[in-house]
Amino acid sequence: MSDVFPKWTNKLPLRIIIGLGVLGAAVTVGVSYYFTPKYTRVGYQPVQPVAFSHDIHAGQLGLDCRYCHTQVEKSWFSNVPATSTCMNCHNQVLKDDPKLALVRESYYQSKPIEWVQIHKLPDYVYFNHSVHVTRGVSCVECHGRVDQMDEVYHAKPFSMGFCLECHRNPEARLRPVDKVTDLKWKWNEDPKVAEQHQREFGRDKVRDWKIKSSDHCSACHR
Amino acid sequence: MNKSESIKATRATGPKYWRSLDHLADAPEFRKWVDHEFPSGAEAVTDPVTRRNFMKLMSASFLFAGLGMSGCRRPEEKVIPFARQPLDYVHGKAKYFASAMPTRTGAIPVLVKQDDGRPTKIEGNDSHPDSNGGTNAFAQASILNLYDPDRATRFARNGDSADREAALDAIRKVADAATAKRGRGLHILADHAESPTRDRMRDRLLKQLPEARWYEYEAIDHDVHRRAATAAFGHSVKPYYKLDEAEVILTLDCDFIGSEEESTLLMSKFAKGRKIDPEHPKMSRLYSVEALFTLTGAAADHRLRLPASAVHRVAAEIAAKVLSDPHFEKPEMAAVKSALVAHGGAAGVDSGWISGCADDLKRHAGKCVVIAGQGQPEATHLIAHALNAALGNIGKTVELTPVPARKGGSLGDLVTALKSSEVDSLVILGGNPAYDAPADLDLVNAMEDAGEVIRLGYYEDETAPKQGWNIPAAHYLESWGDARTADGTLTPVQPLLAPLFGGMTQIELLARLANDAVFAPYDLVQETFSGEIGGRNENAWKRFLHDGYLADSAKPALDRVRLMADRVASAVRAASKLPVVGGNDYEVVFYPDSKVDDGRYNNNGWLQETPDPITKLTWDNAVLMSPATANKLGLDNMKGYRDGVHNKLYKESDGEVADFHDGEHNYAERGEFHPEVVELAFGGRKIQGPAWVVPGMADNVFGVALGYGRICPYPNTGGTGRVGGETGFNAYKLRGSDSLKHAVGVKVSRTGEKYQLASTQEHGTIDGRSLIREMNFDKFADKDSEYADFAKGMNMPHPPGMEELPSHGLAYQNPLDELRKNATHSWGMAIDMNSCLGCNACALACQSENNVPIVGKDQVTRGREMSWLRMDRYFSGDVNNPQMSHQVMVCQHCEAAPCENVCPVNATTHDDEGLNLMIYNRCVGTRYCSNNCPYKVRRFNYFDYNRRPLDDLYNTPANPWNRKDGEWELTRWVKDRSKGSIDDDQWDLLALVRNPSVSVRMRGVMEKCTYCIQRIEGAKIAQKVKAGASGNVEVPDGTIKTACQQACPAEAIAFGNIDDPESRVSKLKAQARDYDLLDYLATRPRTTYLGRVRNPNPDMPDYRDTPETFKEWKDHGNHLAHHGHGHGDDHGHDSDHGHDDDHGKEHGETAGKGGHH
Repeated sequence: MSDVFPKWTNKLPLRIIIGLGVLGAAVTVGVSYYFTPKYTRVGYQPVQPVAFSHDIHAGQLGLDCRYCHTQVEKSWFSNVPATSTCMNCHNQVLKDDPKLALVRESYYQSKPIEWVQIHKLPDYVYFNHSVHVTRGVSCVECHGRVDQMDEVYHAKPFSMGFCLECHRNPEARLRPVDKVTDLKWKWNEDPKVAEQHQREFGRDKVRDWKIKSSDHCSACHR
Repeated sequence: MNKSESIKATRATGPKYWRSLDHLADAPEFRKWVDHEFPSGAEAVTDPVTRRNFMKLMSASFLFAGLGMSGCRRPEEKVIPFARQPLDYVHGKAKYFASAMPTRTGAIPVLVKQDDGRPTKIEGNDSHPDSNGGTNAFAQASILNLYDPDRATRFARNGDSADREAALDAIRKVADAATAKRGRGLHILADHAESPTRDRMRDRLLKQLPEARWYEYEAIDHDVHRRAATAAFGHSVKPYYKLDEAEVILTLDCDFIGSEEESTLLMSKFAKGRKIDPEHPKMSRLYSVEALFTLTGAAADHRLRLPASAVHRVAAEIAAKVLSDPHFEKPEMAAVKSALVAHGGAAGVDSGWISGCADDLKRHAGKCVVIAGQGQPEATHLIAHALNAALGNIGKTVELTPVPARKGGSLGDLVTALKSSEVDSLVILGGNPAYDAPADLDLVNAMEDAGEVIRLGYYEDETAPKQGWNIPAAHYLESWGDARTADGTLTPVQPLLAPLFGGMTQIELLARLANDAVFAPYDLVQETFSGEIGGRNENAWKRFLHDGYLADSAKPALDRVRLMADRVASAVRAASKLPVVGGNDYEVVFYPDSKVDDGRYNNNGWLQETPDPITKLTWDNAVLMSPATANKLGLDNMKGYRDGVHNKLYKESDGEVADFHDGEHNYAERGEFHPEVVELAFGGRKIQGPAWVVPGMADNVFGVALGYGRICPYPNTGGTGRVGGETGFNAYKLRGSDSLKHAVGVKVSRTGEKYQLASTQEHGTIDGRSLIREMNFDKFADKDSEYADFAKGMNMPHPPGMEELPSHGLAYQNPLDELRKNATHSWGMAIDMNSCLGCNACALACQSENNVPIVGKDQVTRGREMSWLRMDRYFSGDVNNPQMSHQVMVCQHCEAAPCENVCPVNATTHDDEGLNLMIYNRCVGTRYCSNNCPYKVRRFNYFDYNRRPLDDLYNTPANPWNRKDGEWELTRWVKDRSKGSIDDDQWDLLALVRNPSVSVRMRGVMEKCTYCIQRIEGAKIAQKVKAGASGNVEVPDGTIKTACQQACPAEAIAFGNIDDPESRVSKLKAQARDYDLLDYLATRPRTTYLGRVRNPNPDMPDYRDTPETFKEWKDHGNHLAHHGHGHGDDHGHDSDHGHDDDHGKEHGETAGKGGHH
């Protein structure tokens, strides 16, 4: 038999077992890392330099998103407001609040506040805010109920599948343009009625506005 | 039979048209480029040692990847908004500003794109009255100069850093000293500019300091146009050629498509006169007399090649012919006529050519133009003006625009003043005279006799004083200034950003020298503007800056002018004493390079790597010569043209040539060029450079491009930068005051040494197909003839069996057909080869728009240049006097794209609008797609070209010996993966030039033309935002211009929606001249070409019945078929041989040459 199998083959079964073990471990580690929401940063909630609460401003006070994010309808980028925007109100309201010390310092010394970025797409993805919000995709679809967040966190997984889900079926999510920044808006409290409304509205809107959300690579990759 | 053999077999009768002499002779080196797009290296790791190293590195990489898992979390990034929001600023939205790029004789009006505060792209300003929105290669590349890390970044005294205040003190001292002596001892040397404010500052300074001296110098004599016109007509004027209105154009060594300063404007006008309206076809005719083979010669319908020194004699002969005609004979021209007749003819020029050309000019009196070029002496220009005057062209096709007279002495005067120690302080404004002055003047030594030297320069180059100040000049995108374009329109130069390195402008320095109270350039320019409109007007000023021109400020042309016949006659008589090159003499022609100009763009990598339109050389210049001249010198390593020698060598050693086998490298097999170095000697001066054969050049002439051969002393001063250092040889060293344009009586000798050149002329070759389709105008215009449909008639036969397939030769239903029904647009492009002049503006525009990296000379020799757009150049016909054709080659966006179905990871796919997409983040670098691309337009990132210095490409971050500043590169790389291993100072600047809308590709990724998808998507998004409920989401025609289209001064490229029959692209594609490249492959390209039409004169001795390309095609047994079914009788021959299927396919692919088997 030694003619058929050289001597080193004696160790082969052991090697195969070890090899499979290593492979299995790698797969386990890989899946538990890459296939979890954590990889897509869901739940990411860094500490911001100023404890700004969207819950108070957008939720309780009812400020429109675009009061601060003024350029969301003009640019691919939804701007984080300049300190001067904060000071429009806070030179009157809570003008001596110690929590706003950094804001005042920034404004009077022309020193920008360094916010920590939460929502970020890879460099090879060219997402455009303006074309989404002006055509009826609400902020809430990607950012969640920011108006209920005391501190903003990453609510949805920004994976390609997440984008495609909507791009392949825009009817289910389009809403009237004037409701885009109204994050709590619903067609109806009754989900069944709401769904019925959405179906009809979505169908008409896609037809009338000629909405062809592309599911081709060129939509985002350039 | 394999493919290569089959092609070889068919070429027993020679190729159709050729890219190089090796192509013509079908040398093995050339064959390599046909069979393999990337012939050498990185194809397979077969060397066991390399393999082991590779495994080591890979295991190390995996190890680190594992360790770094926790580091794989995306790093924390900051969003930093403004503290106070500036007005009108929208982050992420580009702004455009009107400005102008100053040139030596005027300016190119531009619109500059600004992304978040940094200029990123130059476009032409199409609303300017003297521009159609075209630019040239230099304007496109000038943005890279702004971010050149090697530009002068500091105030330097005696070569050491000094502060700005000290420099200003030095200027003040010079100014005070000059004021005390009414300017005596202050000498100013300036470059040429057509700036009203600079003229005003000069006049003011000379008025205040009347004894100061002003000199002007430019290495290239573009001023000759103004000088000659002023001499000929007695007013200070310069000619403005309306080539669009001319029916016959004669150029006398005038390369208005290349080396003329006004080339952008002249090209746009010339192309306009050659546009073919399919209903009423009409086009101009171009005669070209020239020494080198230039782009103008390539565009010409008749081309006469003869030494530059003989051109004025031919001009005189033609003029004598015209003036001797009783119809054009005028008493006041009698003196000119007799001088011309006495001047005599150039030896060996066919008198038929002279009279044919003269007759054609006479027939088109008042509707023709004669132009002499900057490389000709004033006499040639005067003869041209005499011709224009006699033919009644003045005021019609040639306008005389008033210009301010140039003042000041010559460089020679300055050297005399320097040597007599009159110069207390020398101020040098721009230019680089120490490098480009005539060699006999010895300016560098003379400069040492000056007291104080203050030099305003963009680089710390050869002219930067060893004793004295070098003040950094501001780039035009950092400066306030103004200019007059060719027609005299006042045009602003406005800055897009503050000077990056505190640079100064010429006008500011002049104001400071005059001790003016006002020296801010903004105020100075506004003052000039107020003077022009007669009073200060803020609104008009704003409008001026917004529009980029002052409306109706063009100078009205002089209408009552008379030729100063006596002056012309005496100039012609003087010219007869100029030496003319004879049979055994040689002449050297000095010409500004198509890439580095006179040397000012020497450190611009984009330009350095763009192949010269004629020689296809990158990163070098060469001694150009005709095949016959090379033959005479016995340069037998100029492979190819000497059939006997060539064939013998290759046959003996079966594809290997002893000469080219240097130890381990078989150069021949790698398709490299190692020509012999020759030495040129003239007037006791010598230069050496590699010989390069250009078919069609005049015999006994050597062409040498200026602007090369500079050292890079980095980090010291006194030369060019790190990009341009050590490229080419310095031809200025041969050029003397008596031979500024050409030198007659040059001695030449061979050195026996070899020098490697990087020429792309054989890269991306597609052999033996009817790619170029041309016809003569008279045949084409005859609508009843078969020639009217020549372009489609030259379609190639489909392989047998393909005809019967459904869907235009496709075996399956193309899924795109289904998608297209619901698409909003279908994008397509048409390229009019009758308009394309081969100027390379598109190539540079593409490079700038799409973040295309440069790869360096070594990588170019391996065929790895990254340019998405290549300009293919073909010769056809007689090797001594061929015709030349150009073809822009970009991704064809095939509807049935062969690249797509071989990609294992779907990284290249189609979208519904017909774009062939390339998804970089999905690409794994198998390169199957480029292997399967019949057009060879896909480019692969063999290395991290964007993030590594060119001399460090072969390194890797994982190399433990690769330490920079004590840090292992991998450590640095883990910390910041976006930053490359390029030095910090370079990285910070070079990152600014990139277009933020286009991904920067990394190593191992395939890339190619995307039809500027970022512009398409940008326009679609803008339209959708605008459309709202109206549902009008279709982008109007003309909104999207691809970068190449926008840059093209000839408007040769059209892009748009081919589903819209009214779009410009649809209309072009509907013309009879439209054809697909490699139509028989049924790839259905979205990019199509419109065949070129040549317009030769049947009365000329060199009349060609059909264009050479067509003749070659016909000589191979092809004949015109109707409407896309190119198969004919000759194809039928195949069946006689009883071949199998494979065999038949090969016949099909080789374009119906089956009859020769």
